[in-house]
Amino acid sequence: MFRFIFALFFLLSTATLCWSHDLQYEVANANVIVLNFFYKDNSKFSYEGYEVYAPEEKIPFQVGRTDKLGRMTLLPDRQGIWRIKIFSKDGHGLDFTIEVGKDRVLKQTQKPLFARYLNIFVGLGIILGLFGILKLFFRKKDS
Amino acid sequence: MHIPDGFISPKVYIPLYGISAGLWAYGLRKIKKKLNEQAIPFVASLTAFCFVAMMIAIPLPGGTTAHVTSVALLAVVFDIWTAFLSVSLVLFINAVLFGNGGITTLPVNALGIGFIGSVVAFYTFKTLSRWKKTVALFAAGWLSINISALAIAVVLGVQPLMGRSEDGSPLFFPFGLSVTIPALIIPHLLIGIGEGILTVVVYKFLERTFSEIFHER
Repeated sequence: MFRFIFALFFLLSTATLCWSHDLQYEVANANVIVLNFFYKDNSKFSYEGYEVYAPEEKIPFQVGRTDKLGRMTLLPDRQGIWRIKIFSKDGHGLDFTIEVGKDRVLKQTQKPLFARYLNIFVGLGIILGLFGILKLFFRKKDS
Repeated sequence: MHIPDGFISPKVYIPLYGISAGLWAYGLRKIKKKLNEQAIPFVASLTAFCFVAMMIAIPLPGGTTAHVTSVALLAVVFDIWTAFLSVSLVLFINAVLFGNGGITTLPVNALGIGFIGSVVAFYTFKTLSRWKKTVALFAAGWLSINISALAIAVVLGVQPLMGRSEDGSPLFFPFGLSVTIPALIIPHLLIGIGEGILTVVVYKFLERTFSEIFHER
């Protein structure tokens, strides 16, 4: 009887040790920041690698690959400026920051340089083009 | 200062479209006589400069931003009509392509910023330049942007009188003159300093470097 109790105790105690290697999981909905990557022709930046750095951190907070639709999701644990590096093997990529505000929601995104100045260049092109046409008109009239 | 669509009653913008159309047509006739092939690159450059100036938001105390217009510069370098048409073109491009300002509100913006701004700048410069040119240029810039801001503030401020829904809420811009006038004038008192300095610096540069523009006038 003593041997049986001892064997039972031994098995139970080793079983709890085994639990520490047993991966558990929970499933929950959460508000996440979704980043969508695509080429100019709207083709998806699928299955490409990325690294996400939390504010003031040198070690990535998150690494992974975009999904089939070129998306990645981020669930930040603090507010501040988060850096995102994404790259493909053929050299395409981006390195930019997003600002996460209170309640860990997206506050501001750093726009790519071309997007910030695109309107100015387009407007300048139209204005100078119109005056160029006007100049040609005057030249024709004068000649 | 560009008013977007939905803020102004049709009772205001339809008559103003009529007035603007008349002034645009008259202005085109006037500048057609004066404008020549040599002047066009200068007008184009200053119109482009005006467009860029309007796109650059300058941060102001209190978290708001404003921008200079360079309307005064166009008016003092060329004339009222060239300035009015150039600014109208810039406002049209801004409204149609980039959504800065509205299509229905284009005449309000064009008359307020372009026409009133040009007239104020031109006559301020003409009057004061007999005394001291630099002061005249600065005053032209400062006054033109402030009088334009006042005109826009008045148009916005009268909108609550233009129509109300059944529950009494305003159909268009909801704030009256007591709100719009200080809201527009206070920041523009500061921005006017920038506009004045810009007018002086660019005018002097053009006068020194491209004196032919001034001889052709």
